[in-house]
Amino acid sequence: MRTLITTFASAALASCFVTAPVAAADTQQVFEFYCTQCHGPGGKGDGPNVTKDFPVSPRNFTNAEEMNKLSDADMKNVIMDGGPSASKSPMMPPWSKTLTEEQVDGLVKHLRVLCQCEGKQG
Amino acid sequence: MKSITTMALGAAFLIAAVSQGQADPAEGKAVFEAGGCGDCHYTEGPAREQTIEDQLSKKGPELWYAGSKFQEAWLAAWLVDPKPIRPLKYNSLKEDNPGDHPKLADADAAPVTEFLMSLTSDEVESGAVKPKKNPKGRQIFTKKMPCNGCHEYTGRKKKILGGRSGPSLVEAGVRLNPDWILAYLQKPTVFKPVKMMPVFVGLLSDKDMMNVARYVASFEPKE
Repeated sequence: MRTLITTFASAALASCFVTAPVAAADTQQVFEFYCTQCHGPGGKGDGPNVTKDFPVSPRNFTNAEEMNKLSDADMKNVIMDGGPSASKSPMMPPWSKTLTEEQVDGLVKHLRVLCQCEGKQG
Repeated sequence: MKSITTMALGAAFLIAAVSQGQADPAEGKAVFEAGGCGDCHYTEGPAREQTIEDQLSKKGPELWYAGSKFQEAWLAAWLVDPKPIRPLKYNSLKEDNPGDHPKLADADAAPVTEFLMSLTSDEVESGAVKPKKNPKGRQIFTKKMPCNGCHEYTGRKKKILGGRSGPSLVEAGVRLNPDWILAYLQKPTVFKPVKMMPVFVGLLSDKDMMNVARYVASFEPKE
């Protein structure tokens, strides 16, 4: 029994190191540094790049109705591979060579906080 | 008469030589340091930034590869009459660029230009990029990986288009060394390792990057 507990404890400890989640503060910084250029500081799709000539409206992350249509996997996919990977605009560039997968996972969680929604499951 | 002509020619040559960059880089470095330019710009490479905090702590662009990045004539003129290159304040996405970069006197601008142009990087291959408007470069710049989402440029009918978070690329052809544009795309960790611009290595081919570099380097002054 003691061995079993030790094994579980070790496994739990190891998983902390292997899959340590990105701290919320780090995610907030990543969001502000990269995403707000187009999506705006509050995630409403009103960043400084969105001039009247900007060809599309960047997604408003606070629109729960629209955000609920997306699963976490959908969002991760678009962040990593860009808008065209989901038949959306290339104005959303692929960030797969810039951000780590861990950072992207953190961003997906952050977007769920902004929309106050759980999104499409599965 | 002959000696007067010779003297006049000699004087003209001397003036031309001085104006064509015969100033002393060491003198320029002294002016740069005495003027406090180093408070906002660091001039010794390699790049120091490793984190977003590192980047955000900078007050102005790094200049340790200025001689590989800029064109000398543009730099000399800009130091005397600096116009904003970035629509927004450095490292800010909220405030407009106040356009308050200090101006240098002509006598200081020449040696400072020489100093900055002496700061080069071996990572930039000289003579690799020949500026040319090309449809493939334009297609990537405006559609495939839209650089214009973040960078201003001159569109049709001389209208300034594009986003505001990155440095303006209007007239980039007179400001930037075409070879540096390519190197900046191909070697994202060398010059500015932490930046708001995505890394395109592995997403754009070298040929694509060359086309973009040639296209951007063809951006000329407004008529």
